[in-house]
Formats: sequence, C-alpha cells, structure tokens
Amino acid sequence: MSVPNKPSGMRQFAALLSKDLRRELRTKEMLISMFVYAVLVIVVFGVALSFARPSDDLIQVSGGLLWAMILFTSLLGLNRSMSQEMEGRCIEGLLLAPMDRGVIFLAKVTSNLMFLAVVELIAVPLFWVFFSSFAHPADTAWLIAVPLIAGSIGIAGIGTMLSSMTVNTRGKDVMLALLFIPVIYPLLHCCVSATTSALLGGVAMDAFTMSVALAVGFDIIMILISWLLYQFILDA
Amino acid sequence: MRDKEEGKRVPEIGGWPDRLAPIAVIIAAVLTTAGFLDAFFLVPPVPGASVSEPASIGGVLIQNKLLISQKIFFFHMPVAMVSFCALAFAGYYSIRFLMSRNERFDACAKVAMEIALVFVLMTMATGEMWTRFEWGVWWTWDPRLTTYLILMLIVIAYMVLRSMVDDAERRGVFSAVLAIIAVVDVPICLMITRLIPSSVHPVVVREGGMSPEMGICVGMIMVGMLALGFALYRARFRQVLLSQRAEAIKEKMDEGSSLGSEVMK
Repeated sequence: MSVPNKPSGMRQFAALLSKDLRRELRTKEMLISMFVYAVLVIVVFGVALSFARPSDDLIQVSGGLLWAMILFTSLLGLNRSMSQEMEGRCIEGLLLAPMDRGVIFLAKVTSNLMFLAVVELIAVPLFWVFFSSFAHPADTAWLIAVPLIAGSIGIAGIGTMLSSMTVNTRGKDVMLALLFIPVIYPLLHCCVSATTSALLGGVAMDAFTMSVALAVGFDIIMILISWLLYQFILDA
Repeated sequence: MRDKEEGKRVPEIGGWPDRLAPIAVIIAAVLTTAGFLDAFFLVPPVPGASVSEPASIGGVLIQNKLLISQKIFFFHMPVAMVSFCALAFAGYYSIRFLMSRNERFDACAKVAMEIALVFVLMTMATGEMWTRFEWGVWWTWDPRLTTYLILMLIVIAYMVLRSMVDDAERRGVFSAVLAIIAVVDVPICLMITRLIPSSVHPVVVREGGMSPEMGICVGMIMVGMLALGFALYRARFRQVLLSQRAEAIKEKMDEGSSLGSEVMK
C-alpha cells in the first residue's frame, strides 16, 4: 500500500517547522513573552544583588544566575509551544496526517530550540550589560557559547517531550516545572560548571572540557529516549 | 488463580506471593529488631568520619571520633537499597505496561513507586540525621545527596502527575514514561555530580570497608527491610486490585439496575 506522492521525512519536517515559524512570526506571542520574562528575571536578580558589593567573586555566581534565567524563560516558552497545538485542536490534525511521530517530535524540538536561541541571543548580552559593572569576566568568556548551545538543545529536547505530557494534565504549567527541573538537573549542573569555568578562565578552565562533554552525552542519551517515548505520549 | 491474557501471565493476587507475605512480615519484624539490637549493643563503635579539616559539631571539635551516630548507617544503607529495588521494579513494570497496555502492569508500577517513595523518605530521614551528626551540616551538595534529592523529587512528581490525569490509559502511559526517564536520569545524575564535583565542601573520607560484624548486622537489616518492602508491596497491591474489582462490580450493578428500571418503564 504505497502512497505515490507521500512526501519524504525531510519534507514533512520542513513543513512542520515552517508552520511553527510562520505562526510565531505572525503572532510573536512566544518570543515576546519569553523575552519580557527574561528581562523580568534580570530585574529580580538586580534586586537580589543590589546590596552585594561589586567584586570579582560575583563572577562565580553569575554563571549560575545566567542559567537560572535561561531555565525559567525556557519553561515559559515550552508551555506556550505545546498549548498552542492544543488550542483549536491543531494536534489532532497533526496526528491524523500519515507521518512518523518522530518527525513531529524533531520538528517541535527544532522550533523550540530556535525560539530559545533567539531569546538567548538577546537576553544573554543584556544580562552582561546589566551586570558588567559587578565583575569582569575572563578573556575566555566567549566560550560560554558552547554550554549555551549544548544546554539549549537538551532543554528543548526534554522540555518538548515533557510539555507534550503536561499539556494533557490538569495543572499544566506547575506540572511541567515539577517534572522538568528534576529531570534536567544533571544537564544544568554541567552547563553551570562549564559556564562558570569559561567566565573565570585560568585554572578553572580545567573543568570546561569535561563539563561540556558530559552535557553533550546527557543530551544524546535523553533526546534518544525522549524520541523513543514520544510516540507513546502522542498516541495516549 | 492466575489470569491468562494473550498467553502471558499477569501479576495476580492470591497466589504464592500472597501466602509468602505474612511470613515476610514476621521475618521483617524479627530481623529488623534483631539488627537494631545488634547495631546498638553488639557491634563495636567505629571511628567516625575523618573530615579533611577539623569541624565543630555541637560545639565540640571533631576530627576523628567514636560516634554513636555511625549506627545510622546500619539502617540507612539497607533502606536505600530497598528503595532502589522498588524503583527498578517500577521501571520494569512501566516498560511492561507500555508494551502490553495491560492495566495490571500500571497498577504494579504505581504500587512499586509508592513503596519506593516510602523507602526514599526513610533514606532521606536517616540521611539527614547522618549529615547533621557526622558531617556537621544539615545539607551538603554531595553527589549522593544531590542525586537522592533529585530522585525523591521525581518520585513525588510521579505521584502528583498520576493525580493530575483523569483518563486511566493516559495516566498509565504518562507515568510509565516518567518512570522510565527517572530510571535513566538518576544514574546519569550520580555520574555527572561525581565527575564534576560542585565545590569546596569538606571531603569526607571513610577508610576501610566493613568489619565482618558490621557486615552481618547490615545484612540482617537488609534482608529484613527487603522482606518488609515485599510485604508492603503485596498488601498494597492486594488493596488496589480489590478496590478495582469492587469498582467494576459496582459499575455492573449500576448498569443492571438501570437496565431493570428501563424494563419496568
């Protein structure tokens, strides 16, 4: 039973991805809300640090704060991305289309990753602008791009899978945070470690390679498992 | 009394495991009590943890001291082992559920996870006492502690997730997925926190293994706790299954009576 004009997996993927991107470009609701939220988190950190004396010690904390901002911002975006699919029962249309569930997963992960990347591109420099008066990062600071990429991929992968579950539960947003934060913890640990090493530079760089390698390993294992389990979630 | 479904056996109540359960309770009671007495009265105290730098505990400077708090270990370790066992079973039944979509496996996974939660909480309670009295702090982000905290949070999230989904099949699938993720995530978490040590906390070194006396004591309590876990599992499983049956009978009776009233009209 072969369908003559069935589009290839790549074409299906491209179609799904362009659907997500077009929708976002028209409404801009996810990007704007994530970006505003990131700014608000920066403001909260500003208050939290407002009585700390500027010193180079603060650089040890800033990597962790940066990741706290990314984590909270991404939680917001992941929630939105799946509940958009539920509105107007878009998800049912997707499930009726004759395509592999894995393609849906990968397309959703990619679009989430792209939105997260766009927000990070603006929010991370902004974070630096607001807190650069506190402490000066080392010359190796540009290397934080590596853990940022590895971390974002993991967040998008696992987050997409978990948020597809939690949109079908009663306490949507809370439930996602409850599942997402413990599961992502190992990745967060690696990324904070790598980011802090890059910001500190010098001797601290020793831990950088190991942290990044572990983050990448975590990404690969968890995304593979998410990809395998995704069909069960969608079929339920 | 075993249901045969698609030629495969599913866990049932009333078989040999349920006849074994009361014996397990007795074994658990005897062995844990004996282990408790053994730990406190027979096994000689062991030098406490030697800390990399002298630490002040309760106003006393501790470097290497005979600590009564070391007795916590005799309960802490077996209880932690049982919690891992229960988790492994929860993971196993979750995979069986995803493969067969048989509700029975979902019930098994759920009960195993509940037992895991009980033992995880016991481990956390004894662990907290340990960190307070041996290491002098209420909490430290040591790899094992961190991993165990994450594990506890995931098990709690599992329970919350179950209560947040109304549809039975969907609930089963979601919680099975989470259980499988937990089983994969937790060892990775331990490995990662080990390989990237978080910081500057005192490194706690304990030299040497267990003496034979300690080994026997731990072994006794371990077997006792395993028996306890097994008995709890059977009791809870029995209860869950019976209430499911009662529910089914109730539905049938409702159908019957509504049919009856239709006929009367």
